[in-house]
Amino acid sequence: MNSIVHRANKYDKYGWAFISLAMLAFALFTVYPIISSLGLSLKVLRQGDYVFGGLANIKRLIGDKIFHRTIGNTFIFLVIQGPIMLFLALVFASILNNKIKFRSFYRTAIFIPCVMSLVSYSVLFKMMFATNGIINNFLMWTHVLKEPIFFINDPFWARVVIMIAMTWRWTGYNMMFYLAAMQNIPLETYEAAHVDGAGPVTIFFRITLPQLKPIILLTTIMTTNGNLQLFDEPMNLTGGGPAELTTTMSQYIYNNAFVFSPAFGYSVMMSYVIVIMVALLAFIQFKVVKDD
Amino acid sequence: MVKKEKWFIGLVMILALAFAANPLRVDAGGQAQPAGKNTITVWAWDDNFNIAIMKTAVARYKELRPDVDFNVEIISSSKEDVYKKLQTGLASGGRNLPDIVLIEDYSFYQYVSAYSKYFYPLNDVLDYSQFSPYKVQVMTLNGKRYGVPFDTGVCANFFRHDILEKAGFTDADITDITWDRFLEIGKVVEQKTGVKMTIANGTNWSSFFRMMIQSGGAWYFDANNNMTITNNAVLRETFETIKKLRDAGVILECADDSQLAGALNNGTTASVINAAWRVSTVKAEPSQSGQWRVTTMPRLNNAKGVNASNTGGSSWYVIENNQPKDLVNDFLKTIFAGDQSFYNKILVDQGAVCAWLPSQSGPAYSVGDPFFGGQKVNLFFAEQLPKIPPVNYGQYVPEANTAVNSALFNYLQGNITIDEALKRAEDQLKNQIQ
Repeated sequence: MNSIVHRANKYDKYGWAFISLAMLAFALFTVYPIISSLGLSLKVLRQGDYVFGGLANIKRLIGDKIFHRTIGNTFIFLVIQGPIMLFLALVFASILNNKIKFRSFYRTAIFIPCVMSLVSYSVLFKMMFATNGIINNFLMWTHVLKEPIFFINDPFWARVVIMIAMTWRWTGYNMMFYLAAMQNIPLETYEAAHVDGAGPVTIFFRITLPQLKPIILLTTIMTTNGNLQLFDEPMNLTGGGPAELTTTMSQYIYNNAFVFSPAFGYSVMMSYVIVIMVALLAFIQFKVVKDD
Repeated sequence: MVKKEKWFIGLVMILALAFAANPLRVDAGGQAQPAGKNTITVWAWDDNFNIAIMKTAVARYKELRPDVDFNVEIISSSKEDVYKKLQTGLASGGRNLPDIVLIEDYSFYQYVSAYSKYFYPLNDVLDYSQFSPYKVQVMTLNGKRYGVPFDTGVCANFFRHDILEKAGFTDADITDITWDRFLEIGKVVEQKTGVKMTIANGTNWSSFFRMMIQSGGAWYFDANNNMTITNNAVLRETFETIKKLRDAGVILECADDSQLAGALNNGTTASVINAAWRVSTVKAEPSQSGQWRVTTMPRLNNAKGVNASNTGGSSWYVIENNQPKDLVNDFLKTIFAGDQSFYNKILVDQGAVCAWLPSQSGPAYSVGDPFFGGQKVNLFFAEQLPKIPPVNYGQYVPEANTAVNSALFNYLQGNITIDEALKRAEDQLKNQIQ
């Protein structure tokens, strides 16, 4: 008994030694910036130095109508694009979980967008949706449109284009999670359902879906987190326009740090708003799933 | 085990606090120390323009001062990256900064007003009366003058001589005209040739309206740094003019600069009103050689409106960095404020129309350009320079651009009236200025 404790302690020591480098890096690059940024979030720039500004940044946050608008914009992307994408991912996953022809080709094809560079795919979409781009040309050719649509400068279409781009890029990524989870569902449950005479729809809703619940929760939280930090697509596709209708929180934070008059303190304060939102939404999602 | 975990967490926290308390430690050694004592660092963007010009300047200085130990390390990145690194360096107490940095005129105030102590004034080094007054104006703060005025964004109407001729207009017909006349001509041109009169970025009108308001001697702020939006007659006329032009369909709207360049090169637009550096875009299509001309841009009806303006342009600034000042000063003074042949070379090689007035008597200004039908294009730009109304750009150009552009978008869509649009722009700008 004694020797086991002794040995455990000894392993412990080695354990700590092995992870000490990683922990040091973690302390340096994660813990230290978090602590440091907390301080910075309360500072304001005066004569070239960041000095403690009390509640100045919080007051500014409350009065900043543009920041409020960007929260709204971000939530529009989250609430509309998120569910559509996850639903599509689920549909693709259940189709590709069956033994169909060219299954691995389809899987790869749907997954590949998410390894593409964010900037290059945004540029690609910008070209496709240009006034003389492939989408407009096709719609004119099929006589759906008489005049080309200036997609990225239209209050409605600009958002749609961003959502289409995001969906194209991230559906395959989420589909992979669902596929992996589906392969872990025991075949016996399906067989039993077949024996009981259940159709494919019933099987999907009664067998597949309930067993995917933890993975659906995971993808929902990841999507929420990702969409709340949405930056690349609006930045590269629309530049936040037209008239700040597609400016997201992250983009506004970026603007306040690097484009507008320097306000690092205020930018950090706004980042904490995102942190709190992500934490709150994740908490709510956990609760909802548990209560079911 | 529990005890050890506590001990370890404690250690992490102590480490973290130590770094938090003294942020200097973290990047000690990270500072870009010049290799030799007389090596200075320059940050800029655009290899074909700014970087190439700085390289020419250094080569020229070495020619003139062969015995001086002087080396320059030029670091080229994108404009956004230069600004990001500059902003970060200034915010972290002036570390990891270059000795000389290129900054756009629109952006300089936002840096100097927040971090003036990191910028080195050149009052005693340069004779500022030798530079275009409107360029000097944008680098003056509290009686101190920073930086070397460099390239100008002097504006012109670049137009297709052949297309206008087909529509029945001579070059004189579109010279020194108002925007109203420009619109009338534009309608005829489209009717007779099927080509749109001009082009602008429809997703971001800011460079277009900045050019227009400066041509009327106005800006978002007046000389005393007070906001002038709702009470700005020039801005109001600018909004109305853009809407008129757009509603009449004489402007081709594009989404970004590459589309704009494409439209110029494939002949879907008869003109572009933009800064001198558009010469290089236009010349990218050799088959159109001889068909382009430049003339004065249209003016507003406002009494103060002139047929000249500026959009963009940047200057070199010295960062307070313990560098050998005598050397840097001598370099800037000798080349950028005294070397005719340097300016002549960069005008010929890069098409740089610069703000040092004596340079404009150089030989390159009297040469006709066959691409522009033998027109003395450089001389034309030099003659425009003194006519540009000086305005006070102020600290909040990016904020104002965003606010005014949003309001203009809604106004152009027909959702709001001109009064509502200006009010909205002013409210948004006030909201952002803290």
